[in-house]
Amino acid sequence: MTTPLETEVLHFLSEPEEGGFDALALAIFNYQRRENPIYARYCEFLDTPKQIDSWERIPAVPQGAFKRSALRSFPAHQTKTEFRTSGTTGEGHGTHFLPSTRLYEAAVQRAWDYFCLPRHRLILLMPHPDDAPFSSLSHMGGILAKFDRNRFVIAKNGEFELDRLREELMDHEEALTLFGTALAFLNLFEKVPELRLKLPPGSVAMETGGFKGSGRDIGKHDLYDRMSLHLGVAIDSIWNEYGMTELSSQFYSRGLGRTHLAPPWMRFQIVDPDTNEPAPPGRIGLLRIIDLANLWSVLAVLTQDLAIAQPDGGFLLLGRDPDALPRGCSRAVDELMRYARRTG
Amino acid sequence: MNLDDRIAAVVAAAAKVSGLGDLTSQSVSHWIALELGKFLDGRGPQRYGNQHCLAFPLSPILHIVSGNTPHAALQSLIRGVLVGAANWIKLPKRGLPELDTYTRALPKEIRPELAADLRPGWMEEAEAIVVFGSNETVQEFSRKALPGQRFLAHGPKISLGLVWGRCEPEVAKGIARDVFPFDQLGCLSPQFYYVAGDSAEFACQLSKRLNEHHSRSLKPVREGGISAALRAFREEWKFRAATEQGVFLWESVGNLDWVVIHDPDPGLVNNPLHGTILIKPMPSDPELVLSPIRRFISTVGLYPVNLELVNLAVRLGAQRICNIGQMQNPPLTWHHDGWPALGSFVRYVDVEGLGG
Repeated sequence: MTTPLETEVLHFLSEPEEGGFDALALAIFNYQRRENPIYARYCEFLDTPKQIDSWERIPAVPQGAFKRSALRSFPAHQTKTEFRTSGTTGEGHGTHFLPSTRLYEAAVQRAWDYFCLPRHRLILLMPHPDDAPFSSLSHMGGILAKFDRNRFVIAKNGEFELDRLREELMDHEEALTLFGTALAFLNLFEKVPELRLKLPPGSVAMETGGFKGSGRDIGKHDLYDRMSLHLGVAIDSIWNEYGMTELSSQFYSRGLGRTHLAPPWMRFQIVDPDTNEPAPPGRIGLLRIIDLANLWSVLAVLTQDLAIAQPDGGFLLLGRDPDALPRGCSRAVDELMRYARRTG
Repeated sequence: MNLDDRIAAVVAAAAKVSGLGDLTSQSVSHWIALELGKFLDGRGPQRYGNQHCLAFPLSPILHIVSGNTPHAALQSLIRGVLVGAANWIKLPKRGLPELDTYTRALPKEIRPELAADLRPGWMEEAEAIVVFGSNETVQEFSRKALPGQRFLAHGPKISLGLVWGRCEPEVAKGIARDVFPFDQLGCLSPQFYYVAGDSAEFACQLSKRLNEHHSRSLKPVREGGISAALRAFREEWKFRAATEQGVFLWESVGNLDWVVIHDPDPGLVNNPLHGTILIKPMPSDPELVLSPIRRFISTVGLYPVNLELVNLAVRLGAQRICNIGQMQNPPLTWHHDGWPALGSFVRYVDVEGLGG
């Protein structure tokens, strides 16, 4: 059953109205504060007034909150879908609970429409959602590929189905979209170093996510150079999708050095980490995201990623600083414990 | 240069930098006598049990120093100069202004060579190699060291405090003195405190006292990535404080100067440091809880200091035990990371058969 507020959000996703964002964001905030006791406690802890007048004042939960608590804005027994974070940081999984994937699916489709992303044949470097039921990315791939198993080229065990991938890549002349994690692309190039494709004109590669927990780290320029070399696509035909399990919508950027842009139902703020207040224009800060499609959990999320707001209304994503912590001669407890286990 | 002149030079140069503690001719002479007797003073073999003994510096000494605690680098250099070694120092990427200042104040003939990169021959020709840094840095240089070279590794450490009692003003001041120097990044900087009794009340009182009295006149310079990681950490604990029983958080307002977090779980958790004070209840079996990090424990600050608590800290693996408030001020004579500070830089020669 669709709730009136869900209908309203679905409508906004299809036909975003200028000036309608704020009212809808506040309606969702009030709903979530009422229906989500954990979020209500958090708002109370922050002394958030009963009435707020702008989406910019909606308290954002830290991304890690999804690891600590079940952030549901609906009765737990109505849970139909769980998306889980990869848990690569060693602190357990974060979980995003949904009573329905209608909003999630609409957000994916409408964003691809909004950014005029091509709707041609997809090859998905990810497992099928049946093989990865907790992966929001696989579900996203499923939505875009109408859940056609033939579009997915990573098996349940995480291995590439290389023969099928070769067939898909080489035996067609029509443009295609190759979509997967940055790590999956890197794995593919390492598995098949001789791969030198020339994807048909109009083809697009879309990468997402970083290398967290993989023990590997290559810069974005290097990644895009490799993608261009191995796939035979221009760097301008490579897109980045910036999303996370804790959200229902995604930002997109195209090529290198370009900003990430939001669909009309998402907004962001750059937060000065020193003051926890919005950063002055041009300053680096933490990315705080409002996603109207996040009706079923919390619509405002403070990420751990650094970004700079840009005059075009988007942001330049810098990501996390891997060297920020820990450091020096005093070290993080978990790092030393890992080291002790490895060498003990 | 003879030993007395080296002592005088080391002491005079120490006046140019702050935080080197009780460095006087008298205290240094006392330290040398305590560790090395008269073996260093060039008077020939000295009686040592049933034999005689002399000590010679391992020379040159190569010091690989890290950027976050300049005083460790200075202490290492001072030890090398005192024993009479030639000293080579590989600096961290961003240099060490304190070390430059100190070095310039030394007479030319005992001045160390400083370089941002290892100079050709340094690794091969050094008789002793001292490394300060991460496990990876220590491993990298230990692989490069040659057989016969003395290799002294000061790898990463964890320090902590154990408290029995209320958060009296002197305890709060002591905690501030221990936590804030070097922006909490030194190996002597406490990462967490175990408190017997009402640990939440202790944390609350501590935050009140910090709020009233603590202002960091010298704001640490932090890169944006560090501030972001600190903010993300604080916001996550704020969420926990709002939603989990027994978790409390108090913080400096409008900045990242300090935060006090009470975590009711005595288990080990990460601390991003930079002014982050974690207060936890005393575990029923501290030895068990701390066993995974036992070999990394450096200094344990105690309140109060008594024999029973000292014995507990020893069992936990402490290398150094002191009063809360003194964690950053080891005496000149301390055995840094459990070794004799001067004795590690010399080669002893034992002589038998000289008679009485």
